[in-house]
Amino acid sequence: MALLKALFPWGPVFFGIGFLAPLIAAIMVALNIPTPFGLDEIHIGLAIGAMWGLLAKFGGRWI
Amino acid sequence: MSIAETTLALSREDEQRLYREEMTIARKYIGPFPVVMALWCFTNLACWLSLWPLVIFNVIPLWAGFIIATVNVTLCYLPSHEAQHSNYAAPGKPLRWLNELIGYVSTIPLVLPFKLARYTHMLHHKHTNDPKLDPDYEVIAPTWFQAAQKTVRRMQPGFPNSYGLVLSENADDPAAQRAGLEGALQSLAYWTILCTLAWSGFALEAAFLWWVPRLLGTVYISLFLSWWPHHPMNEMGRYRNTRSFTYKFGNILAFGMEHHIVHHLHPGMPLNRNAPAFREMRPILEARGCRLEDH
Repeated sequence: MALLKALFPWGPVFFGIGFLAPLIAAIMVALNIPTPFGLDEIHIGLAIGAMWGLLAKFGGRWI
Repeated sequence: MSIAETTLALSREDEQRLYREEMTIARKYIGPFPVVMALWCFTNLACWLSLWPLVIFNVIPLWAGFIIATVNVTLCYLPSHEAQHSNYAAPGKPLRWLNELIGYVSTIPLVLPFKLARYTHMLHHKHTNDPKLDPDYEVIAPTWFQAAQKTVRRMQPGFPNSYGLVLSENADDPAAQRAGLEGALQSLAYWTILCTLAWSGFALEAAFLWWVPRLLGTVYISLFLSWWPHHPMNEMGRYRNTRSFTYKFGNILAFGMEHHIVHHLHPGMPLNRNAPAFREMRPILEARGCRLEDH
């Protein structure tokens, strides 16, 4: 429980990397959205997911 | 306005007579095992579980799975609600295991931990509309749209979790500790499964069969089970803390909550028997000065 309590505040960041990143990548593939600079979709997903998670953690809101 | 001012003044004899009549009607509807609600639980859960292979193996398209999953998630709470009230079997009865099983498995799609739901729901019944003690009071809002917006705000990471606060305030209670532990483990399992699916190539399926339906279902359930039946949440007391109302799209889409007043008066009565009980009790409820709105 102590470990969970310590990790819980970072939940949005874990969620951004753990779920949103592959989801964003899958959506890009499904919609044929081109990636810049020759990056893979998952790299874009990780960048957006991690950033969004950090914003949610420190801003207190996803939207 | 106080409760004494808003309820009708009744003589002691009238009070006793109305109570006897109310209980006579209630007993007729409380007794039998709620077969409909038990079937509802397992049918709904089986349907939602079956969506996963059906969508993954392209038997049905993801958009269709998404719509069905949203309906499943939205429907999954009410059978568990009966279990929270031990309406399938009271403690010590032979079918108690079934009561607890339904409580646990019914809300898997909603990821609502059973013990946490039961703990907070009992407090809701005990302290309905009390701003400090009712765990569901946070849904208060002037309109249904604002209530929906508020539910979305309550999902944000920076918003204090009212159920978590209840558990913290009752940290010495073993039932609260158990509810907290089960809740933490269930949430952890949910996020682990979602992430595992997403990184295994099933991100869209995880999102549209579980994550988004759960968000939509949570808003719908909050609206129809918390906001609508208790609005405007400004009165307490057995006969005034909730109401009956007419929903323009029908009682089915309102989850049977049009007769929520009967549930608060007799929580042991299964949901699908509230409407006939309400019709029979109506003269008594009118004599009591209950909030029978739009009927």
